[in-house]
Amino acid sequence: MTNHFCDFKNADVIMAIGSNNAENHPVTMAWVQEARAKGGKYIVVDPRFTRSAALADIYAPLRSGTDIAFFGGLYKYIMDNDLWQKEYVTNYTNASFLVNPDFAFDGATGLFSGWDDEKKYGTADTWKYQIEKEEPWDTAKTYAWTQAPNVPEFTLPVNKIAKKDPTLQDPNCVWQLMKKHYERYTPELVSSITGCPEDKLLEVYEVYASTGAPEKSGTILYAMGQTQHTYGSQNVRAMAVLQLLLGNVGIAGGGINALRGEANVQGSTDMAVLSHIIPGYMANPTAAKHPTLKAWLEAETLAAGYWANKPKFMISLLKEIYGPYATPENDFAYDMLPKLNAVNHTAIGVFESIAEGPIKGMMCWGMNPAVSQSNSTFVREMLGKLDWLVAVDLWETETMGFWKAPGADSASIKTEVYSLPAACHYEKQGTVSNSGRWIQWRYKAVDAPGDALDDFEIMHELFLKLKEKYEAEGGANPEQLTKLHWPYETDGRADITKVAQAVNGYTVEDGKLVKNFTLLKADGSTASGCWIYSGYYNNNDAPSDPTKQPAGSRLKDDPSGLGLYPGWAFSWPVNRRVVYNRASADVNGKPWNPDRMLVEWDGSKWIRNDVPDFGFQVVAPDGTITPTPPGKTAFIMNAEGTSRLFAVGTGMKDGPFPEHYEPFESPAKNLMNGGQTNPALTFGKAASVKPSDPTEFPIVCTTYRMTEHWQTGGMTRNIPWLAEAMPNMFVEMSEELAAEKGIANKDKVRVFNNRASIEMFAMVTPRFKPFTIDGKTVHQVGMPWHWGYASGNATGSVANDITPNVGDANTSIPEYKAFLVNVEKA
Amino acid sequence: MAENAILYDASKCSACKGCQVQCKQWNMMPSTLEKDGNEFTGTYQSMSDLNGDTRLLIEFREEDTPKGIEWAFSRRACFHCSEPACMDVCPVGAISKLDDGTIKLDSSVCVGCKYCTAACPFEIPKFRENFGVSNKCTLCDDRVAQGREPACVQTCPAAAIVYGPRDEMVAAGQARVEELKAEGYDKAELYGVTEMGGMHSLFIAKYGFEAHGLVRDPKKLEITSLMAILKPLTGIGVAAVFGGLGLSFLTSMGYEREGLPSKSKKGEAE
Repeated sequence: MTNHFCDFKNADVIMAIGSNNAENHPVTMAWVQEARAKGGKYIVVDPRFTRSAALADIYAPLRSGTDIAFFGGLYKYIMDNDLWQKEYVTNYTNASFLVNPDFAFDGATGLFSGWDDEKKYGTADTWKYQIEKEEPWDTAKTYAWTQAPNVPEFTLPVNKIAKKDPTLQDPNCVWQLMKKHYERYTPELVSSITGCPEDKLLEVYEVYASTGAPEKSGTILYAMGQTQHTYGSQNVRAMAVLQLLLGNVGIAGGGINALRGEANVQGSTDMAVLSHIIPGYMANPTAAKHPTLKAWLEAETLAAGYWANKPKFMISLLKEIYGPYATPENDFAYDMLPKLNAVNHTAIGVFESIAEGPIKGMMCWGMNPAVSQSNSTFVREMLGKLDWLVAVDLWETETMGFWKAPGADSASIKTEVYSLPAACHYEKQGTVSNSGRWIQWRYKAVDAPGDALDDFEIMHELFLKLKEKYEAEGGANPEQLTKLHWPYETDGRADITKVAQAVNGYTVEDGKLVKNFTLLKADGSTASGCWIYSGYYNNNDAPSDPTKQPAGSRLKDDPSGLGLYPGWAFSWPVNRRVVYNRASADVNGKPWNPDRMLVEWDGSKWIRNDVPDFGFQVVAPDGTITPTPPGKTAFIMNAEGTSRLFAVGTGMKDGPFPEHYEPFESPAKNLMNGGQTNPALTFGKAASVKPSDPTEFPIVCTTYRMTEHWQTGGMTRNIPWLAEAMPNMFVEMSEELAAEKGIANKDKVRVFNNRASIEMFAMVTPRFKPFTIDGKTVHQVGMPWHWGYASGNATGSVANDITPNVGDANTSIPEYKAFLVNVEKA
Repeated sequence: MAENAILYDASKCSACKGCQVQCKQWNMMPSTLEKDGNEFTGTYQSMSDLNGDTRLLIEFREEDTPKGIEWAFSRRACFHCSEPACMDVCPVGAISKLDDGTIKLDSSVCVGCKYCTAACPFEIPKFRENFGVSNKCTLCDDRVAQGREPACVQTCPAAAIVYGPRDEMVAAGQARVEELKAEGYDKAELYGVTEMGGMHSLFIAKYGFEAHGLVRDPKKLEITSLMAILKPLTGIGVAAVFGGLGLSFLTSMGYEREGLPSKSKKGEAE
C-alpha cells in the first residue's frame, strides 16, 4: 500500500476493484464505513455480487480479466471530459516528457514497437525518452561517497535528462501518446468487452473521475483480482496511471492500496521471499547481467533519485550476510551470492523444473502447493517425482500427504516425506508487516504443543546441523554455508531479537544499531539485512527488548486526526505513513486540501504531519538546519523525479502503456486489438497447461476466498468452529446457467476442463448474472479454493486442479482469476 | 438500573460471522467434530437455523429486484423481549428478567421441557441434546456484570453491533433508519422498539422486516397466557402436564410463523 488501512476514512471515493475487501479484510469496513458516514462513496466492481457489493453505494459487474479495458475507458472519459488534475499531471508525472519518435503501437497486431518473436520485447529500444542533456555525477559533492576508501569501484552512471514540453502539445510527449493510445477505448467498446452495461460503466466513471478535483481524494483497494492474470502487472500499472491522472497518489485518502492476502505477506516480499529480488527490493543477481559486484552496481544503481544510494544498501546487505568474511578485497563476498540462470524460478517454474529433472528435493515451508498452486493435479504429480520433500506446517496438509490425493497411485510414489510441526502465530514472537507497511512486534502468548518449534528455531537448528556437516565432510560450495554470518543466538538458543537488530542495521565496528538507512555506507563499515526496515529496531538502550523499540511502540495519539498514528509501530520507510507525500501539496508546497495536510511549506519551513518523502531540510555537520524550499521532485525513487504514465526504465516486459488482452483462456475474441492474448505471457506453451478451448468449455471461471477460511484451509478447516461456518466446497452460478444445465440449488455438480474434473455443490444465485460480450451471452461461475482432501473437519475438491499454470509476463503469477470450464450435474 | 440493549445494523454488517464464532468461543459452545458433518445450506449461511449449540447465527437472504440485488444479512439471536413468552411458560423458573432487561436462561434450573421454544414467537430457544436443557443468548450477562461488552459486540470489526443504554440505542437506531431512507433505502425500519413490549436486541432492517426474516407485529400465543395463569395455582408438575398438552395442541395445529428462516423461499428445495 502507498497508504494504510486507517487512511481509507479520508477518501471521498473508495473503489474496490479486484478486491472483495468486506469478505477478505473485514476490518477494512470500519474505515470504509467511516468514509461513508462523512458522505464518501464506496464503489465495488466485481464479476459477482459479493458481500462487499452488498455494502456498496454502486456495484458494477465486470467479466473476469477485463480490467484494463475498464481502466482505459476511464482514462478516455477523464481526458475527453477534462477531469484530470492538471497541475499534478503536468508537474508530478512524465506527461510532458518526449518519447522516441519511433515508438508506436500497432492495433492490427496488438504489438508495441520493438517486438521480436524470439526475444519478445527484450531488445525494444523505442520505449525511451528523448534526451536533452547528460549530467555526470558530481563526485566532489553529492556523490563524494563513491570516492571514499573501500567503496568498490564501478563506472558511475550518467544522468540523462529528458526533453520536455510543459504545454503537453508535442505529438511525441507522453500526454499526447496516451491520448492517442486510449482513443480506441470508447464506452461502447469497453461495455462490449467487459459486459458491464454502459450506463453502469458511465455512472462509475463519473463518480470516480470526480476525485480529479484537486481537493478531492479517491482510493483504490485491490488484491488478487488484479494480479492473478497473464497481464496482472499491467493491471496494477493501470490503476497507478488512473490515480496519477486524478492526482490521487501521495495524498491522504488516496493511493494504490493492495490488500495483502496474508498477515505478513508484505513482510515476506520486503524480505524478498521471491525469486527475482534480494531484501529491500534490489535485483537478485543473474549470471548473465551481474557476474561481478562491479557489474551489479553498474546495472542497478540509478543515475539520480534515492536509488542512486543503492550501492550503500547492497554493500551493507553483503556485510550482514557474510560478516567478517565480506571484505573490500573479496568484493564483500559477492561471489558467494547464488546467481540466477535463465530458467524461470517462480512457483510455476519450479514445478516445470521438476518435470525437466534438475530439482530433486523440496522444502515446503508454510506452503501447501498441492492445493494452492495452479494446475494442482500436475503439481502433485511433480511432488511424486521428488526424491525427498520436507513440509513444515501446523497440521498435516495436502502437500504432506500428497500421495493420498484422490486418484493418486500411492504404490508408485517413492518420495520420502518429512513432516516438521511448526508453531502457530500465537506460539512465537517476531514482527509482522501489515499491508500498510506497519511493522508490528508480536509477542508469544503460549508455548507450542509437543515437538512443534518456531520457524526461526527450525531454521537455526537446520543451519547449525548443515554447517557442522559441511565443515566435517565438505561438499559442493561449502563456503556458502560455512562462511555465513549467523550470530542470532543468546546463551546457545535462537534469538529473534538478534535477527531484528541485524535487519535494522548497525555499525560494524561497535555493533551499535543505526538510526536509519541514511547512515548506511558503501564501504563495509555498516551492515543491514533489509535497508527499507532500518529504523524499526534502533534503540541501543535496550537492544533485546522489543517493547522499547519503534516496532513495539503502541502509542495511540493521532495529532493530525488523519489516522496516521505515528507512534503506533513503525511504518517503513522511516516511519512514513503515506509515501510520495510531496504530491499532497502543489508546486509551492500548499496542500491541495488543507484539511488533509500531510506536509506544507509555510514560506520558511515545512510543517509536517507525516515524515516528508523528499529532501525537506539540510542538516549541517554542526547541527544547523536549513529548510529546503519546495521543488517539483515528488517521486524520489525514480531517476526522473516524476511518476510515470508511460513506463520508461521500469523493465515492464509487455508494454509501456497497459493494453487490453484477453485471458489465456477466453470465450471472446479480443475486440480492442488484433493480438488475442498478452504476447509476453509465460508458460503458454508448456505441455502441462492443457489449454481449454471455448467451443468445448465456454464458461468463464474464477476462484476466490471466503471470510470464513484462510488460504488452503490448513488452519481453518481444522478448527471446528470455522469449518462449521463455511463447511462445504461449492460453485456459484447464475440462475440462467443453472436452468440451461438443469441444475438446482444444492445439487452436486462437476466443473471440468482439460486439466481435471472436480465435484462440488451448486450454489445457484442471482448474485451471478450472465454477461453480454460482443453481443453474445457469456456465463461465468466462481469457486472458493479453501478445500482439499487432508485431515480436517471439512474436506472438498481442490479448486486449483482446474486453474491454468500460465503466468503473467512480468511476474509469472498464475492466471487463477480467469479461465474456461464446463459444468454438468453430477 | 437502566435498561441496556444491543443495536444490530444490517446495513453495516458484512456478514463476516465473527460474532457467530465469537459467541461460540466465549460461551464454550461446540461445533460438530464429525468429519464433513455439516450440511450445505445452498447459501453462505452456516446452518439452516440456530441449534442447541448455536445461540447466534448470521443469515443470508437474497432478492433480485429492479433496483439490483438486495442481499439482506440478519443476526438471528434472542431479542430479550420486555414481555417474554418463554419466561411466562417456563414451569421451573429457569428463565428470569434481569434489571437491565436481559432475559436469562439458567441451565442449572432448566429441566428441558422445551416449552420456551414452543412459546417463543421466533422459535429461538433451542434444545441442547447432550445436556438436556434449553439454550439461548444471555447477552453475555457474565461479561456485562464485569463491565465488559457482550462477546459479539466486542468482536464486530465494523461496529455493526453496538451495546449500551436502551434509550440511546433506540435513538441511534431511529436516526440511522432516517439516514438510510435518505440514501434511498426507503423500506428501512427499526425492529424491537415496541415489538413484544420492547426488545433489548434492536435490529436496523435495511430492506424492511420481511426481507430480513423478521416477524412483523409478533404476538404471544394464547396458550401462553393460559399456562402463565396456571403456573402459580398448580405447581410445577401439573404445569408440566398441562404444558405438555398445550405443546401437542400447538404442534397439531400446524402452527407456522411466517418469515422464519427455516422456511424455504421461492420454492427452493429443502
